[in-house]
Parts: sequence; structure tokens; C-alpha cells
Amino acid sequence: MISCRDFISELGNLLDADVASEIREQLEAHLAHCNTCQVLYDSTRKTLRIVTESGSFEYPEPIAEPLVTKVMDRIRSGCKLEDSQNAD
Amino acid sequence: MAFLPETDGPGAATLSALKRNFGLVPKIFRAQMLRPDLVAAQVQLLESLLFKKGALSRVQKEFILLTVSAENNNSYFPALHCQTLQFLGIKTEQSQQVIVDHHGANLSDADVALLDFARRLVSEGHSLTDLDVESLRKSNFNDEQILEAVLMVGLTQLLNCVQMGLGTEPDFKPRVIFPPEEVNPPVAAERQILEPELPGHFVSDDPDFEIVVRVRNGETEAFEELVRKHGRRVYRSLLGILGSAEEAEDALQDAFLKAFQHLPHFEGRSRFSTWLVRIAINTGLQRVRSRKEVDSLDEENEEFRPRNIQAWSDTPEEFYSREELRRLVEKEVMKLPVKYRLALMLRDLEELSTEEAAVALGLSVPGLKARVLRGRLMLRESMAPYFSKAGASKS
Repeated sequence: MISCRDFISELGNLLDADVASEIREQLEAHLAHCNTCQVLYDSTRKTLRIVTESGSFEYPEPIAEPLVTKVMDRIRSGCKLEDSQNAD
Repeated sequence: MAFLPETDGPGAATLSALKRNFGLVPKIFRAQMLRPDLVAAQVQLLESLLFKKGALSRVQKEFILLTVSAENNNSYFPALHCQTLQFLGIKTEQSQQVIVDHHGANLSDADVALLDFARRLVSEGHSLTDLDVESLRKSNFNDEQILEAVLMVGLTQLLNCVQMGLGTEPDFKPRVIFPPEEVNPPVAAERQILEPELPGHFVSDDPDFEIVVRVRNGETEAFEELVRKHGRRVYRSLLGILGSAEEAEDALQDAFLKAFQHLPHFEGRSRFSTWLVRIAINTGLQRVRSRKEVDSLDEENEEFRPRNIQAWSDTPEEFYSREELRRLVEKEVMKLPVKYRLALMLRDLEELSTEEAAVALGLSVPGLKARVLRGRLMLRESMAPYFSKAGASKS
């Protein structure tokens, strides 16, 4: 039987649905009898749902085009590609 | 792994010529950098025979290269040149068909005859006669074109042989793997070159690759498309670091300018968008460091101990308006230490894959996962007072 510590170390993979079926079974077995981890898993899952659906940190439409223009103006006014001698 | 170590080595002009024509330095040439003079000679031959305008069209020559490589059971060059042909306007499906059997590739009768000739020169060169050359003339090829065809076959044979001798892995995932039972003798079937798997960081289908090549070839205006397409992602990454819309707008311009200037160094090892986000992150972090407010980017070893273990209702968000939720999330995310905030934002707001986010932040995959998890757990802690059954019912 896995511990709460083991469960938390795998929690990220569980949230990303990136666990092998064998490990998933162990994690689910742990959840079935550990209320603390059950709450932790459920509330973290809901946190992610809220974050992804909140529309936070949006790129405001009105600033998008002016920014494209500013960038391209700066490039046209003399910004040059560097020599490719040094690889990235 | 290749049989000999890959290296960048000297020969900047040669590397530059390769990047200009392929958009990257193909591994086959990296693998030969112990003798940069010989790489330069091969590249010069490629430029004279294949890249420059000649008696045959570029596409005809590329098709000869595909046909000869297929005849040699070589997966490396078809993978590389299918990509090149795509940029020349040839659909991948047609290139694949040329590799499998050019007779079904919807080519003109003359081009079919040309590729028949190329294939015969490889497989039955010793029995070739003047009749074969005459049949090409009957298909309206002149002698200069026939000479180019023969030289293209020879050049492809050389390249195929070098690649097989060095065991170079494909730059792009091969779209056509020759069925071992048909074309590979048992021993050759185990050759590394035929393995379809590539390292995870190698991406063959970067949707921005073509634009990047155009910009590098001097079409500056094409960069505008990249700014428009990726502005949102760059802005959000910067907003997550800087916390100020005004500063994020300034930093966005700097990030795109840096990306433009450094474009010749982009080698296609990751997607362009991942590379760009990495530049944006570095730009943002430099600004934060100049404010001397940055928290440590070192890993924390102390174990995370969750608090606030109270159940949440099924849909805790229903207690708040969308606007309230947006502000709440932004406020609480901005309270996270920058290292966790960035990892969380790239994965959960930008929805980059774990691998892409790791590359963007210069972390290992386990390192990235650890930061994302810590960020998620810390955010959960700070949101619990708003969304736990006790907290939400109070609001």
C-alpha cells in the first residue's frame, strides 16, 4: 500500500492522466481509504479547472495589432539578423 | 546514436549555406565535421548540382534523390528532402508515393522515364546501354539534362553511402519506413538508421518552419506573421513574470526583436514557438532581476505539507461571476514565486506539453513536473478559502 507522500509525488502525473494503469490502480486504492488525499486530489483538480477556464492573463485585442506594428517598425528601422556563425 | 560524434566544428560559411537551403544543419554534415574541408566540398557540389537552377528542374532533381535513396533502402534522405519538397510546393503524399513507387505518383510520362532511368542506373548500372540514354532522348530530355540526371544519381549514391557508413539518425521522423520484409535483408533490417523513433526533442512538423526559412533568406516582412501568431503566448508568459500589462507590452517588443536578431541561430531542435517562449522568459527574467525583486530560482528541497484540507463543493466556481474568477485567479497566481508561477502558466494556461515547457524553462522533465506540481498545490492552498465548502458558503 502506498503512503500519502508517495501519492503526492505522483499527483502531478495523475492530474495530467500520465500514469501507467498499474500505478493508477495503486493511487486509486490509496484514495479509497485516505480522505486527506481524496480532498487534495479533488480540490487541486478543481483548481486547475478554474484556472484554465477563468480567461485570466488574456491578451487584450486592442493592443495586439499596435504591438505588431511597433515590433515591425523597429525591425524595419535597422534591426538586423545576426551572423549565423554561432549556433544556438 | 551515430557511429562518430556529432559536432558543430569550424566551417561557418558552410553551415550558413546549409541553414539557408535546409533551414538547419542536417546531422549528416554535423557528423563529418572532423573534416570541414570535405563537408564544404560536398555542400559546394550540392549547391552547384541541386540547389542552383540547372537543365533539370529542382523538383526533378529532388525526385531523383528520393528514388535513388529508396532504391538504396535509405530512410534518412527521404525524410530530409520530403520536408524540402514541401517548401517547394510538393505535397508530402506525392513525395511519399515517389519513394514507394514513382509510377503511381501522378508524374508526366517523361518524369516517369527519368526516374526509371535513375533507378536502373542504381540497381542495374552494369547493364545500362546507349538504348537507355536514347529512350530518355525520346522523352525529350537533352544531353545536358541527361548528364545532370546521371550526376544526381551519383551524388545521391555518395550521400547515401556516407550516411549509412556513419549511421546518422534522421533529422526528421521518416514518413516512409521501408518494410523490412520487402527491401531489407535481415542484417540490414537491424540497422539503426531504419529505426523510426527519434529523440523526443526533435520535432519534424513545426508549422512555423517555412516562415522562419523565408525570414532567414531575407524576407523580413514574413516575420510579421510570427509576431501576430505568437503575440498572445509571448504576452501572457511575460505578464506572468512581470505582473504588469504595461511592462509586458514593452518586454514583448524586446523579445520579438531578440528572436528576429537571433533567428539565424535557431536550428529547429525544438519548435519555433518553444524557442520564442524561452527568449520571452529570459527577457522577462532579466527585467525582474534588474528590479532586484526576483526570488530564488534554486530548487527547494523541503517537503510540501498541504493545509486547508476541507472538501470543496462540486462546482465551487458558481459562487463567483466570471469577472470575479478572472481577477481572483490572476491575483493568486501572481502571488506564487516566479519559478512555480512560470511552470504553472506554461503548462496550465499556455497548455504547452511537459516536454515543451521543460525546454522553454531550460529544465529537465522531472524538474519541470516538480515545479508544476508545487505551483498547483500552492495555488490550491491559496484558493481554498474561497472555494472550500466552508469558505464558499460564507461568501
